[in-house]
Amino acid sequence: MMVSLLLCTPLLFALFCALAPSNRWIGRLSLLGLGLVLIQVLDLSYGVIQNGPLDAGMWYIDDISVIFLLLMAVISFLVGIYALSYIGHELHEGVLTPRDSRFYHVFIQLFLFTMLLVLVVDSLGLMWIAIESTTLASAFLVGFYKKEESLEAAWKYIMICSVGIALALMGVTLMYASSLDVFGDSSRALDWSVLKGVAATLDPTLLKLSFIFIIAGYGTKAGLAPMHTWLPDAHSQAPSPVSAMMSALLLNCAMYGIIRFHVITEAAVPGFSSSLLLGFGLVSVAVAALFISITTDLKRMLAYSSIEHMGIVAIALGIGGTWGTVGAVIHIAAHSLTKSMLFLSAGDIVQKYGTRDIASITGVLKSIPWSGRFFTAGCLGIVGLPPFPIFLGEAIIVYAALQSGDFLVAALFLVLLLMVFVAFTYRFVPMLGGDSGLEPSPSPLSRLLPMGILLIMGLALGLVLPGPVLEFLQDVAAQIGGVL
Amino acid sequence: MTEIMMNSLNILAVGILLASLMAMTTPRMGQLIRIFTLQSLMLAGMAALVGYQTGSEHLYIIASIIVLLKVFIIPRFLNYSIERIKVKRELEPLLGIPGSLLLSAAIVVLAYFVTEPVISLTEVITRNCLAISLAVTLIGLLLMITRRKAMTEVIGLLMMENGLFLAVISTSHGMPLIVEMGIFFDVLVAVIIMGMFAFRINETFETSDTSILKRLRY
Amino acid sequence: MDYSLFIISTLQFLALLVSAPAVVGLIRLLKARAQGRRGASLLQPYRDLRKLWRKDEQVSEDASWLFRVAPLISAASVILTTSMLPVLHVTVLGPGSDMILAIYILMLSRAMLVLSSLEGGSVFGGMGGSRDSMISVLIEPALLLSIFSLAALAGSTELSSTAQFISQGGYLIIGPTLILAAASFCITTLAENARLPFDNPATHLELTMVHEAMVLEYSGRSLALMEYSSWLKLTVFITILVNGFLPWGISSALDPLSLALASLAFIFKLILALGLIALLESQMAKMRLFRLPNLLTTSFTLALLALMAFYIL
Repeated sequence: MMVSLLLCTPLLFALFCALAPSNRWIGRLSLLGLGLVLIQVLDLSYGVIQNGPLDAGMWYIDDISVIFLLLMAVISFLVGIYALSYIGHELHEGVLTPRDSRFYHVFIQLFLFTMLLVLVVDSLGLMWIAIESTTLASAFLVGFYKKEESLEAAWKYIMICSVGIALALMGVTLMYASSLDVFGDSSRALDWSVLKGVAATLDPTLLKLSFIFIIAGYGTKAGLAPMHTWLPDAHSQAPSPVSAMMSALLLNCAMYGIIRFHVITEAAVPGFSSSLLLGFGLVSVAVAALFISITTDLKRMLAYSSIEHMGIVAIALGIGGTWGTVGAVIHIAAHSLTKSMLFLSAGDIVQKYGTRDIASITGVLKSIPWSGRFFTAGCLGIVGLPPFPIFLGEAIIVYAALQSGDFLVAALFLVLLLMVFVAFTYRFVPMLGGDSGLEPSPSPLSRLLPMGILLIMGLALGLVLPGPVLEFLQDVAAQIGGVL
Repeated sequence: MTEIMMNSLNILAVGILLASLMAMTTPRMGQLIRIFTLQSLMLAGMAALVGYQTGSEHLYIIASIIVLLKVFIIPRFLNYSIERIKVKRELEPLLGIPGSLLLSAAIVVLAYFVTEPVISLTEVITRNCLAISLAVTLIGLLLMITRRKAMTEVIGLLMMENGLFLAVISTSHGMPLIVEMGIFFDVLVAVIIMGMFAFRINETFETSDTSILKRLRY
Repeated sequence: MDYSLFIISTLQFLALLVSAPAVVGLIRLLKARAQGRRGASLLQPYRDLRKLWRKDEQVSEDASWLFRVAPLISAASVILTTSMLPVLHVTVLGPGSDMILAIYILMLSRAMLVLSSLEGGSVFGGMGGSRDSMISVLIEPALLLSIFSLAALAGSTELSSTAQFISQGGYLIIGPTLILAAASFCITTLAENARLPFDNPATHLELTMVHEAMVLEYSGRSLALMEYSSWLKLTVFITILVNGFLPWGISSALDPLSLALASLAFIFKLILALGLIALLESQMAKMRLFRLPNLLTTSFTLALLALMAFYIL
């Protein structure tokens, strides 16, 4: 019941936004919806953490989903605050019409609905439907600006992701076929809550085949190389708040799908899915390092960095064990917090300079002082410097690799990280200093507040990592790794 | 009886595969849509037959939805789209017809090879259907890769989905009904959205050739 | 007993030989009807042959003895193949009914045709010859693969045994292998016999023609032989198609009833096949030469899949 209510909220608000008589209040209406979602998610999560998994009919929420849900609710709410001023600015500049703004808010609500659906459904089949719907709901947001480039990005996005998702359906089907062997004709044979219990008895050949399709399919959506090609296009062409949501939340949803299947496959065929994840992860980080060093577009650079971090998460899952899993979870959270902050501040920069070209952006710290500072902090965080949370995640992953004796993986991982570090630093440092000749302008509070909160949360995760959180994470790791 | 049933299922499955191969050989849009319609019809027949064999009623529902959606609504929408975009045929596929056919044959071999070790399924279906569904899916992907027109890519995706449905029907006699419904809904919405984007591409670039979409790189 | 087998196999051999012009006449007639014309009589090809037989023969000065011999060898090889076909009864007059042997004996006829096309020294002949060789190179793998899949299915390369095996195999034998192989063989039949969409059999003076270009230099009795052997070859291929891939009705007993049924079934299948060809030819245009590989690759792929389906199912 609570879950249905949670899912209905964004749907209802999409309807409200579509039907609202006046354009003036739509932004705030939309934000109200995001706020309500946040409150409900907090409530739900509290319940789940206290009382264990919530298993109600179609819905199933356990600790793993709680982490993703919390990230989703918090970040989408903060991005919602930011979007008020961002979209307002575009309206003011005449880039958008009031109709576009209404369109934006309607689709943001739908987008959020589909992403929430991914996290709360029990059946892996329904999860597939939800993941496909995220593509459909966000395609219009990618093509939002109706320019040639954004049209191209949207087309690539919807085609490549649909193909990927179609392949994933094959994986789901094969998984279902294998579980039918155990359950007979049962309507619950695709439910995760049931499947994880019997994972070890499923047919290994079918599961192997299934996971290959799943990693090719959901991996496309998660931006793992070499299926990543839609990602930089879509992230760079979408409006910055949407980029932030896609990078910080949408990729997580796909990763969540992979994790669900990974757990089952790993239980039946130890070592198969983890080595695949490891391979795709390493390739993704390497590809991202290469492209970060040659791209000329600020938002594309951030997008490639998202590929890198999804690769790191895949590597962490591939290493496995308790610490590998803790590392993966921390890294997912750290990346979401840091990357959304980066995309928001980059949105400010792009609006201020009117270009995404890295070479023509200089003196960020002078022309937009506060957003510039957040941008700097974000860049330092994303390359993995302490005390930011990504450092923590990466350190735990290296520790996990060393502990499990994968010295080669640890060494490769460190070398790749170093490459990314050099490439990224080389690109962002020149943007900070110098003088752009632009009049310094203060950023409105509605933009700084979300970035500030994201930064504080990130630092809290990186610096303090409060005891209960770590305990909770180990608990989660036991759930993912426990079956391993 | 079951032997005969198995045989007719095999024939239908091969028919579906043949439709995919035929799609690789034609550059004409109208023909492509007709082939897709035929393939969907065979798929519906297969669903009904499996439903008859196993006595699960929800496969009949699935069969009728396939007929409604993939034999009537979607082909009509596609025809409307090609009329509006004014695209009759694929001018230069990236790979010639003999090449793509041979590649498709290789895909079929690969599909059989990959599904070869799957033994546990022999009771539920013939492995043949699984291999063919895999092949149809991958050939759909090949169609998307080797063609340039936006609408051909959409049809390729739809053929991929037919392959997936073949897998769903043959390996597991259909997923739970709610999942199937959701999948159908997604397919319909996806096709409509893609159609809308194809219109927009046509308006903006004055061609529906997607190979001009090369602005974004690095 | 042996005696009656000999009689029946001789009779079916002779019947094929005699009916070859009628087969072509029937295609022309059906085609004319499909296109709304009245068309010439079934007997027209016989009259053509008689006319050509009476005419004088012109031989180019540059032509060698090969030019004279080629029609004879070509006709002989096709007639030899004809003797290897079971039509009504599964016994044959000729040296067994091995299809691989039959196919390669037919290749001899084709080789003669290509060689003689160069003899006249005209440009048309050479062009036709080179095109024909190209098509033949592309046909061969598809043709053999479809024969192989039939052989694999029935466990023999002898047409007599496969016909017997398949016609007695019941409903279950109709599976992917047979269907795919038959589809592939249909395409190769059209290509091998220079029918549309590979070549236009109704034209005499076009740059695109293939078969007619090769026999352009012939006249009189040689032309009659050439024409006759090409008609007979079409009959041979259709017989292989209907008796190899859809052999239902063929008789393995000798009683009059089953023979009568067999002849009815054969005539029905033959007319059906001819009707399909006629329909196809009035619907279709000739393909551009450079698009022919597309269709032949299709045929090859079908045959390959047929063979594969046999081993995997």
